[in-house]
Amino acid sequence: MHGTEDPNRPASFAAANRDIIRVLLKPSVGWAALFALSTAMMVWGGYNWYLQLVYGLGVAGYNPPVMWGIYIVTFVFWVGIGHAGTLISAILFLVRSKWRTGVYRASEAMTVFAVMTALLFPVLHLGRAWQVYWFFPYPNQRYLWMNFKSPLMWDVFAISTYFTVSAVFFFVGLVPDIAVVRDHSTGLVKKIYSVLALGWHGTLRQWHHYMAAYGFFAALAAPLVLSVHSVVSWDFAMAITAGWHSTIFPPYFVAGAIFSGCAMVITLMLPLSYAYDWKAYLNLWHFEQLAKMCLLTSGILTYAYTTEYFVGWYSQNPYEWQIFWWRATGEYAWAFWLMVFCNCVAPLPWYVRSMRTNPVVLFVISIFINIGMWFERFNIVISSLAHQFDPAVWTNYWPTAVEWGIMIGSFGWFGFWFLLFLQVLPAVAIAEIKELIAPPVKGGVEAK
Amino acid sequence: MTSLNRRDFLRALGLSGSASALAACGLDNNQYITPIESVLPYVVKPDQVTPGTYTFFATTVTSGPSARSVTARHRDGRVTFVSHNPKAPGRPAVGTAPLLELQKHYSPDRISGARKGGEPVAWDAGVAALAEAMKAASAAGKRIAYLGGYRSGAIVGLLRAVCGDNAVFWEPLGYEAEALASQALFGARRLPYYGLDKAGYILSFGAPFLAGWGDANLEERWATARDPNADHRVARFALVAPLRDHTGATADDWYAAAPGTEAGVARAIALKVAQRTGRSDIAAIVGAVDVAAAAAAAGLSEGDLDAMAANLVDSDGVALPGGATGSVDLAVATYLINLALGSEARFNLGGYGGPIHTTDEVAALLDAADAGEIGVLLIDDLIDPVHALPPSLNAAARLAKADLVVSLSSHPSATQKVAGLVLPTAGALEDWGDENPLDGLFYLRQPAMTARLDVRSMGDILLAAAKAAGLAPQQNDPDGRDVFAAASWAAFLKDHWQQSLWRGNTDDSAWDGALIDGVWGAAHAVAPALVASGYPWATSAAVAGELVLLAGAHTLRGDGRYANQPWAQEVSDPLTGNAWSSWVELSEATAARLGVERFDIVTVKTAAGAVDVPVEPRKGLRDDVAYLAFGQGHTDTGRYADGYGANAATLFEAVQGGAWVPVAATVSPTGAKAPMITTMRSYSQTDEGRAFGVHVAADKLAKVGDAPSDHPGELTGIHHLELDPRLTAKGETYTAFYNPPDHPTYRFGMTVDVNACNGCNACVVACYAENNLAIVGPERLASGKHMAWLRVNRYWEEAGSKDDVKFVPMMCQHCGHAGCENVCPVLATYHNIDGLNAMVYNRCVGTRYCSNACPFSVRRFNYHTYSWPEPFQLMLNPDVSTRTMGVMEKCTFCVQRLRQTKSAWKDAEGLTAVVPDSQWQNTPACVEACPTRALTFGNRNDADARVSKLAQSGRTYEPLYELNVRSAVNYLAKANFHDDPSAHHGGGHGGGNHADAHGDDHGGDHAAGAAHDEGHGTAHGADHATEEHGKASPAEHGAH
Repeated sequence: MHGTEDPNRPASFAAANRDIIRVLLKPSVGWAALFALSTAMMVWGGYNWYLQLVYGLGVAGYNPPVMWGIYIVTFVFWVGIGHAGTLISAILFLVRSKWRTGVYRASEAMTVFAVMTALLFPVLHLGRAWQVYWFFPYPNQRYLWMNFKSPLMWDVFAISTYFTVSAVFFFVGLVPDIAVVRDHSTGLVKKIYSVLALGWHGTLRQWHHYMAAYGFFAALAAPLVLSVHSVVSWDFAMAITAGWHSTIFPPYFVAGAIFSGCAMVITLMLPLSYAYDWKAYLNLWHFEQLAKMCLLTSGILTYAYTTEYFVGWYSQNPYEWQIFWWRATGEYAWAFWLMVFCNCVAPLPWYVRSMRTNPVVLFVISIFINIGMWFERFNIVISSLAHQFDPAVWTNYWPTAVEWGIMIGSFGWFGFWFLLFLQVLPAVAIAEIKELIAPPVKGGVEAK
Repeated sequence: MTSLNRRDFLRALGLSGSASALAACGLDNNQYITPIESVLPYVVKPDQVTPGTYTFFATTVTSGPSARSVTARHRDGRVTFVSHNPKAPGRPAVGTAPLLELQKHYSPDRISGARKGGEPVAWDAGVAALAEAMKAASAAGKRIAYLGGYRSGAIVGLLRAVCGDNAVFWEPLGYEAEALASQALFGARRLPYYGLDKAGYILSFGAPFLAGWGDANLEERWATARDPNADHRVARFALVAPLRDHTGATADDWYAAAPGTEAGVARAIALKVAQRTGRSDIAAIVGAVDVAAAAAAAGLSEGDLDAMAANLVDSDGVALPGGATGSVDLAVATYLINLALGSEARFNLGGYGGPIHTTDEVAALLDAADAGEIGVLLIDDLIDPVHALPPSLNAAARLAKADLVVSLSSHPSATQKVAGLVLPTAGALEDWGDENPLDGLFYLRQPAMTARLDVRSMGDILLAAAKAAGLAPQQNDPDGRDVFAAASWAAFLKDHWQQSLWRGNTDDSAWDGALIDGVWGAAHAVAPALVASGYPWATSAAVAGELVLLAGAHTLRGDGRYANQPWAQEVSDPLTGNAWSSWVELSEATAARLGVERFDIVTVKTAAGAVDVPVEPRKGLRDDVAYLAFGQGHTDTGRYADGYGANAATLFEAVQGGAWVPVAATVSPTGAKAPMITTMRSYSQTDEGRAFGVHVAADKLAKVGDAPSDHPGELTGIHHLELDPRLTAKGETYTAFYNPPDHPTYRFGMTVDVNACNGCNACVVACYAENNLAIVGPERLASGKHMAWLRVNRYWEEAGSKDDVKFVPMMCQHCGHAGCENVCPVLATYHNIDGLNAMVYNRCVGTRYCSNACPFSVRRFNYHTYSWPEPFQLMLNPDVSTRTMGVMEKCTFCVQRLRQTKSAWKDAEGLTAVVPDSQWQNTPACVEACPTRALTFGNRNDADARVSKLAQSGRTYEPLYELNVRSAVNYLAKANFHDDPSAHHGGGHGGGNHADAHGDDHGGDHAAGAAHDEGHGTAHGADHATEEHGKASPAEHGAH
């Protein structure tokens, strides 16, 4: 069977060390340009948020009954992106899938940063963002407490748990690699990495504990992959709004999240493997596996979309059916059909092997999927609200410049962290790569 | 830190807090608030003022024929609400205009202090200037003239004393056609009294009687006629007009007569009625009519006219004229119809008897000014003739030719701009006065608060100037008293009542009693005595032109007098939802023909002028008609009026025979698009079969009324989705995940009678007033960010020629299983023990999740911190907090009033006493304002409460019942003369209404329903399957 083994192997432990560490702390012109762009986008987003804080949410395009807009769309988008990393690092680790090795570190970083990005939105979409601490159960003299019936409350816990576990898992995986970087650096840099390496010396005892801990975290993180997006889907499914109120949402959202996350891994890492000449670690074999993952989840999504329509029609629920009919034929039909094209049709070429091993095709389709998944959330959030129960209040929503600015800022924020990560931490798991290489023996080549 | 113990701290806090609060009340120009120098209790408390409590004054706000006696709610020096005066006739409801008068009183554009030549002068100098001009005028033999809106009562005597016959009382959309018709037939300019409540058939030729036309209680009498419980019948309302305006939208039958042909139709009907009732004297006045030609010219059939005549005769009919846009001939013909019907209860001359002048007389005044015959021209604050007169009369330039134009108004206007002397007058809430809206009925006006600005009574100004000028009264009191002898206007008024009305009863207790009541006397019927035996009829012919432009009063802005009131601009137009603008209404077919869509800007051009306005395609207009409301496009009037919309008066050539004669117009697209300044942004015109607007068969309802039924809602034919019985079971068997809310004492609820609602939006205005709702302005409205807690949905039910409009007020339904409550993460909204869906503003963080989860979409979000420009903040209700940026808000059922009612009852009856239904009836502001009693509030735990009984009516329904939200608001279906929805098994309503909402499989029945409608909906009045109903009701007699 094709593709169970990576056809490319790094030459040796030393080569792995060298290849991966050589890019650290040496910003290239391209990196600097991207970093400057991301920072500028982030600053622009920050300025727009400042405007929103000062003038109020009126600067956004809300009008009743559409009271959630692209902030929530983008929030769900980023939470979805945040799924691939933990899926790849934890679930594929538990099932001992070999192709995860090359991509997991960067996708885990992507996860952490995507969740960090997603976490911005519940705060900045609030009417009174400065009161966000009221979401947390802190003791107070007024005996104020939260409403545990609210899916938003569940979100708070689901996402904060997910973020915490993902971040810890990410860091735990990094420890042996940071030690490698430490060993290859000098001066102040060495001191910093020494602290981060937590005294790692690669002793057998350390490795023994490490592997136990890693497995434990992987087991802890795995169910969160399923739970967090299920909970996010309940934000919609638990409200009685037609178009939201559906039991299919949790699996549908989880599949969509994995779909978009894997596509985003392709989008980010394909250029990376070329830019850093990492074909030995990250190559078309890996991306082919990701493409297969996307194909599977694309199929699930196509099924979910069909089911929504079927149930809408079969139930004869006029509210439900009207929403779905309008979604495909009304003012937002272009968004709907863009979604269908990007999520259901665009990945189909990947059924042909030459298409899923062609870097250009891989990259272009992954971009389509990213766009399609953003519009999937757009369709769910906005078209359902725009056609609420009372036909007299039907309306349309279109984001304002401030909303676009904040959304662009979120991409800048993500890019800022991800680019920074590429410069300071090994983007490929050195220790795990080494597992794939024949161990260096005494007298061997380059035993340094 | 030096020692500041807790008590000292709290003391300091309390002192500084109250000091700053009081200081805030003492802002420079607000001296009228009880001046407070220090934080001390009153040694001698001012009479009628207890800080923090309400005092109520009976007074009168609007004037002329629609004067309304109100109770002004006064607290701490200011009036914050006006409600109906219970001593005045009619149901306890106030309507829109008095609330707009309240806001007008606080207008930030009002001017303070006299001005001469645009420069501020001392009041004495201002009055002296007026006196000198009067003196000079009388010396030169020039006229001292007055031009003002409709006023009755004592002020008319004073004005006539100063100006004699040169006092002209005129309003742009006034009653001159009716007055002239009355003069022609009865020899005097009086308005008739229409007893709609006694009618079984109402035939209107277009008068906007649900939008402020006629006396203040006309709307309410219409509702009584429609109320199935009043006499167990529902009056059928037929409209003969080229379009259905806000009033006509509620009509059961619409006879779309071509513009200009209504008079011919009315005359033909008058003839037919006279023949049926054997009134040959009436037939003689009607003269020879070619009935077939009249019907054909109008685009109707003679059968239509026969049906109308038959209904009028057999069903206690009454006919209403065409209002300001109808001709004198039309008014004469409708009077003749009513005379031929011969019921004094339904038509008599007991209406308004105050002076009414015509536009021709205003034109004559302008001619006199042009000729230099006018020395002093006084213009009051009710009208803006420069804005309201057609441009061909050239009012601004010709008015200015009077030696001195004096504006007696504190409200700026285009007319005031040409005035050499401005003497700002006190508004209705700060002045004395009286009104005489119906024959024998007198309303007193008294100051409900101290004058807010440096203004004076018009009466005081006139008295002072006349005395200083040494004028001799041109007309004296009938009793021969010297009217200029009065020390003040207040003394004049009191003297007038005691001497003229009470024939010398100078007992002050009677006067005090009248002040407390606000009302004296009673309306009575005056028999119409014909003095004419013929009438010079003009030929009635359709107005030529591809499109004919019609104009009319706006429901809220009226003839434009409320254009500078933000409520009148912001609250949506009943039929279109549009605000802060003018728009031309076209039929959907005409708009399609012109290739324009909603909000495309078009040029409307007539021989007189052209305006650029957005298009509003809608149902209910003939294809050859364009409609534009008056009252917009002001200049120099104020920040909320200037520049909004276009002035319809500029499109009319001249006013002829007392009417704004429809004119030929062209409408051409400009290619530009206007912002979507509307609250009705939906493209959907109907309720999409979702049972929001529901009807029942009027004749079936007439048999059972609204009596509590064993099968509530049986008349509506609605079959809801089957709910899981475990969800609907009550008490211990309830097995849902969460327990149902417990309401041990009160379960506040409401019923909304869609049959009585005519979409006037008085409830919305009252809600704005009571709950300090923010005005967001046109830019934010254009992006849909309005703040109304209560909206009046408009649903067109498409049923062939009988398109029917249902106005469905929609506010928070205070659900027992609210979608919003569960989803709020911080418990800012919750269900309280009284059944209210409570909202804690301070706890809200603004996720807006509740709004998304509200199936009724009634929650509103504070996108910004809205402010009220000085002095609007003084009008804010001190019992309701204003909300800041980022929090959600919504209808509370006026929880502050519920609290007050409970507290008052507790004080009176003890801690545990349950407040009875009688105390709740008018508690929320919307209920208090509704002129037709469409809203009923009460405690639904009380089975005997009116609200509970109505909820058991055969026409009750709950929108979105199948969501199991357990709404506390029940709706009562509209009674109309379409097919009977309950007659079809499965409730397939005509025109596709409702069938889809039921969910269970009634597709076949639905198709049958539509076919049924086709079969019976072709002829007017012939829409009933008679075999189903046995005997036909009187109202549809003509059809059978």
